[in-house]
Amino acid sequence: MVNRTIDLDICGQVCPSCLLLTLKELNSNSAAIRAGSFDVMVVTDDRQATATIPATAERMGFCSEVARLDGTYRIRIFGNV
Amino acid sequence: MEQPYLLIVASSLLIGLVAGFVMHRADFCVTASFRDMFLFRDFFLMRQMILLVVASMALFELGRLGGIISISPFPLLNPPSLANAIGGFVFGIGMVLAGGCVCGSLFKLGAGSFASLLAVIGMIAGATFYAEIHPQWSAFARSTVLVENTITLPQWLALSPSTLLLPLVVLGGFWLSRQFRAGRMVRQSFAAGHLAPWQAALILALLGFASYVLIGMPLGITATYSKIGASIESLFAPVHVQNLAYFSLQPLNYTPPFATQAIQGGPGPQLDAIAAIQYPLILGIICGALGSALILGEWRLRWRLPQRQLWSALLGGLLLGLAARMAPSCNIWHLWGGVPILALQSLLFVVGLLPGTWVGAKILTRFVIR
Repeated sequence: MVNRTIDLDICGQVCPSCLLLTLKELNSNSAAIRAGSFDVMVVTDDRQATATIPATAERMGFCSEVARLDGTYRIRIFGNV
Repeated sequence: MEQPYLLIVASSLLIGLVAGFVMHRADFCVTASFRDMFLFRDFFLMRQMILLVVASMALFELGRLGGIISISPFPLLNPPSLANAIGGFVFGIGMVLAGGCVCGSLFKLGAGSFASLLAVIGMIAGATFYAEIHPQWSAFARSTVLVENTITLPQWLALSPSTLLLPLVVLGGFWLSRQFRAGRMVRQSFAAGHLAPWQAALILALLGFASYVLIGMPLGITATYSKIGASIESLFAPVHVQNLAYFSLQPLNYTPPFATQAIQGGPGPQLDAIAAIQYPLILGIICGALGSALILGEWRLRWRLPQRQLWSALLGGLLLGLAARMAPSCNIWHLWGGVPILALQSLLFVVGLLPGTWVGAKILTRFVIR
């Protein structure tokens, strides 16, 4: 059961802010995300992030899903629970 | 418009439009290909860059052997000097701080990136400032020439270009085919209208080849940043601009492939051959990416960014513009043009670019993105 979502709005930021800031959150809250207490929602207009973030999250053992809304991308990263 | 300018302007504009569209769809970023090796140990984009270089090498050499390419090596290349490596080093720092190289910043600007707009403004300022230090820098470049009267590695080794280039193409092709078979050239992306980077690499290699065949040289951009800067500076300090030796240089003096008369150009404010080649290319890249983003409904101007990033983009752009004139020329010119013919200048530029990117990545993670 997810209790809280960490929102990261990284639209327009200089590359590679998306991946770096997402990694920072994943590393800081790794156990809580894995346990299902947190998930991370990244909002980005960086097209490359739709490839790099899911691949990196998967390598770290997390799950991810990508949705497109109003010309931006929402990448949700969550624990495998 | 008179021949040969009509063909040059039309070709450059069309090549720029396609390049901008393709780079936006694939998010084809040269900066990321170098930076991500150091930052994330991610070599995916570097493999695409190697594909682009190998494909360009094959196209340029086969074009030369088939007689389609008549000018070899292409104009504006000089003997190698320490200045090329130092320029590459500063360029590497600049492109990481700016979040994109000369070409990358243009297509990102077209897609609505405010940071890239600042980077481009910084580049124009940096390329214009170079004129102030040109006498000293060009003296340094001349005094550190490593091999006199030699442009390419085959020339230096007294070999025919094919003796070196064709085996390299075969080896590169073999290595790339193994990477494809191992699934290392493809990565799943969820972006709308996504174009695989390997497809973009091949299209960009074809565009570079088209530029070489039609215009007589591969893609180049940054001399025009000096031109734009000189034009603006002329409005405020016309006498100063006239007195700067750099702005009166005419380093380009050649007869294009489909022309009967020679044309000239330089970094000064005048409309000349450099302007005919590079202005349409710059405009094309911006408009190609703009069109792609609009079609996808992804164009947004976002200017509320962390202040550190805005300063980083501007400073990075400044270093890029300055370095691109010190080197001389940008990474696109060297990587997609000079390296495929093994121009010694371009090889030295890459030698400097690698540690520059590493330093840039260190600065970026320590001071900018936190």
